[in-house]
Amino acid sequence: MAVPILKQGEFLIASIQAALSDHDLVDLRDELAGRIGRFRARGVVIDVTALDVLDSFGTRTLRGIAHTARLRGAKCVVVGIQPEVAFAMVQLGLSLDGVPTALDLEEGLFLLGARGGDGASAV
Amino acid sequence: MHSVDPSPIQHLMREMGIDEASVEYRKRIVGIEARDLERIGAVRELVVQNAERLTSSFFDYLAGLEEGRALSGDRVVLARARELKREHLVAMVQGNYGLEYARQRLELALLYNRVGLDLRVFLAAFHHLLERAGEILTRHSGLAPLEGFETFMSLKKVAFFDIGLIVDAIVFERERLIRQQQSAIRELSTPVLQIRDRMLLLPIIGVIDTARARLVTESLLRAIRDNRAKVVVMDITGVATIDSRVANHLIQTVTAARLMGASVIVTGLSAEVAQSLVALGIDLTKLNTVGDLQGGIEEAERSLGYQVLQRERPAIARGE
Repeated sequence: MAVPILKQGEFLIASIQAALSDHDLVDLRDELAGRIGRFRARGVVIDVTALDVLDSFGTRTLRGIAHTARLRGAKCVVVGIQPEVAFAMVQLGLSLDGVPTALDLEEGLFLLGARGGDGASAV
Repeated sequence: MHSVDPSPIQHLMREMGIDEASVEYRKRIVGIEARDLERIGAVRELVVQNAERLTSSFFDYLAGLEEGRALSGDRVVLARARELKREHLVAMVQGNYGLEYARQRLELALLYNRVGLDLRVFLAAFHHLLERAGEILTRHSGLAPLEGFETFMSLKKVAFFDIGLIVDAIVFERERLIRQQQSAIRELSTPVLQIRDRMLLLPIIGVIDTARARLVTESLLRAIRDNRAKVVVMDITGVATIDSRVANHLIQTVTAARLMGASVIVTGLSAEVAQSLVALGIDLTKLNTVGDLQGGIEEAERSLGYQVLQRERPAIARGE
């Protein structure tokens, strides 16, 4: 299932709606990398609110997307990690080191936006 | 899964994990073998005949001791205990020491526990009973001395099997209070408090083990979502010692909070704790630490853009 990528001003919003296969995630990475250049996006928000599990491949791919985005000149924020998912991730030793995270879409946009960078989340 | 209204003994057995296998294991520990069953079978009649006398010897001995009054003082309980003890003695020589036998022993143990029978006294009285039993065996069984001794030892194995069960059950019951208090402490000591808009305070007091760390982390993550928190001040002044495991738990909690978009400020690492962490080589550089709770709260306020102003010096501060 493809992930819709919305353009909102100079930001791109990828809202993951359902559990993704590894293949979908790779598609998302490629699609985002292309669109950042095409739309000259300054930031990317990946919303994972709907996900109830994030495995090692998902985590690694998200990290990859964030690093790719940065290389293309856009800051990437992962938003909406649920408490259960966060807990499972630390239990499994999965981390999103170097990837900013925020509570939800609003916070994510805020983090990228006017105050860009001094939000709550550690980078 | 669970029956609706299990008797207290069934419940206790489930809690203690006493089943067919564990009873067999207990029998193996004390070394009850087929030979023992044969020897006991040979004196079955004799013991059954003397069951009443032996029961009396046990309770008379108890009554003679100050600590034994707890049992002998209550007529109803005493009558029931005597009845159970007599059944016990009869069952002891039937050679069938299965789950039902264990259940009967636990029933008696619960009774002893209810009246707060002193364990020392119970053991003394039980020994006294065995002494009487040995006497009866040597005098009236008509066995040769060596055979008599062996038979007595076989009986003693069963007695120790019984003692194991009874003592375990009494200790288990007494520790129940400790377990209840532990869980109460756990429940009570993981509050997550909102002290400013989007700012939480998480004071941790006491021992952090894996189960508790999990509880703390879960309630913190839920609170972050519900309060839309951006900053959490985690105060560990009340944590006496931190080893690598506890440190690991703390790091996990902080990492999980960060995944949800909240940053964590850890406060209250005492000088001793800081030194021991360094000595142990535990790397806490991932954590944002501030000396004390006040400093942590101030830091959190700054990061959220709060500025606290004191309007005028109140009377208290002027010392009036």
